[in-house]
Amino acid sequence: MSGNDAVPLVRVRGLTKSFGSNQVLKGIDLDVVKGQVVSVIGASGSGKTTLLRCVNLLETYDGGSIQVDGVEVGYDDANGRRRPRGERELAHIRADIGMVFQLFNLFPHLTARDNVVLGLRKVRRMDRAAARELAEQWLVRVGLGDKLDSLPIELSGGQQQRVGIARAVAMNPKVLLLDEITSALDPELVGEVLTVVRELADDGMTMILVTHEMSFARDVSSRVVFMDAGRVAVEGPPREVFGAQTHERLRTFLARIELKRL
Amino acid sequence: MIDVMLKGLPFLWQGLLVTLQASAIVVVLALVAGVILGVGLSYGSHWIAWPIRLFSDFVRGLPLLVLIFSIFYMLPLTGWKVSNFWSAIAALALFETAHVSEVARGALQSIHPGQNEAGKAIGLTFGQRMLYVVFPQALRRFLPPWINTVVDTVKGSSLLALVGIVDLMLSIQQVIGRTFKPMPLYVLGALMYFAINYTLSQISRRLEARFAYVRE
Repeated sequence: MSGNDAVPLVRVRGLTKSFGSNQVLKGIDLDVVKGQVVSVIGASGSGKTTLLRCVNLLETYDGGSIQVDGVEVGYDDANGRRRPRGERELAHIRADIGMVFQLFNLFPHLTARDNVVLGLRKVRRMDRAAARELAEQWLVRVGLGDKLDSLPIELSGGQQQRVGIARAVAMNPKVLLLDEITSALDPELVGEVLTVVRELADDGMTMILVTHEMSFARDVSSRVVFMDAGRVAVEGPPREVFGAQTHERLRTFLARIELKRL
Repeated sequence: MIDVMLKGLPFLWQGLLVTLQASAIVVVLALVAGVILGVGLSYGSHWIAWPIRLFSDFVRGLPLLVLIFSIFYMLPLTGWKVSNFWSAIAALALFETAHVSEVARGALQSIHPGQNEAGKAIGLTFGQRMLYVVFPQALRRFLPPWINTVVDTVKGSSLLALVGIVDLMLSIQQVIGRTFKPMPLYVLGALMYFAINYTLSQISRRLEARFAYVRE
């Protein structure tokens, strides 16, 4: 970890974003170094999901900058003027940023295998056989080797989410964004999904995850970011953040989460 | 009565052919244009969607007959030489395009926005998302009301007779003009229109059954 530290893979500076008159991001700075897992926690409405969605421009941002591997995501700053990127450029950038969704968002008309194959064929331009093979490899890795030909409707929530993860990582993204990926799951299905994420972390996948699973965040993260009212309130290694009893809002937040579990 | 029908039938083939041909041309034109406009309505910026909205609301608010006559009398004023046939086809196509655009909009907007986001996230371009993600899912909702517009087209094509195109409708009237037996011939015509449209709705039912694969 020498040269990599100098230029973070994901570099967010002064990010601002409003929905109408409601400013949800009030100047966010965030660095994610290659191989790091950064967990973003915070109450709902704190802006954490919006921050994540800005990174692959599912939301546009108003001010500041997001760079992934040195490339500004949302805008082309060519002649000192901000120009929104065109559809093709954007698709090209997004192909290298994986995302897993809270509600899975699998393509319901395609089998598990074809959900993964689509991006490999149409974006990565792999030939049919190679795409199918890679898709199968990933589905086997997430424990769905026997569900290759199942339609999403035939799968449980946990299985669907694992297909969602396979679909994202098969593209070999530089960074993986995970947006509350266990929030829509029955409690007994959370574990199987988190196990897959933990394995990816062990393999060195760079990840930003928005989560309410505090113990998971503590275990898997290199760094934890606590967001409050559109700002980064506390940031640091998990032990420090979860032990930061000095920060009032963080303490209340953690206490409330703790209460919910009892 | 039956013998009048049987004697009249041979004189109606040519007209039937014109009706089918005109309907087919209009259906294809309206399908292509209507789907494009429907995509514009669903995903276009304000500046794209607004004019389409205006067009669609305006055209759908007109009686088809008014539209056919308007275009029939207006086109010559522009100095553009267009035959009766194509002027009437244009009117019918505009009319059906407006309807198809609404059908397409409805079908497209029934698709969860998360589908488009998932497509974006793996790097699909807009065209690819439409082709591989949205259209296949929207098809099921598109087909039944679209077949209705096809049926409307066949029925609406009978108004082409009013600008002198010898379609099924005008053929019937010509035969009546010679035989003075309106009743059996109009019944025959009704049966022929019904045969076409009933076939269409049967096809529609088959197709619906075929696409019943996704959750509801």
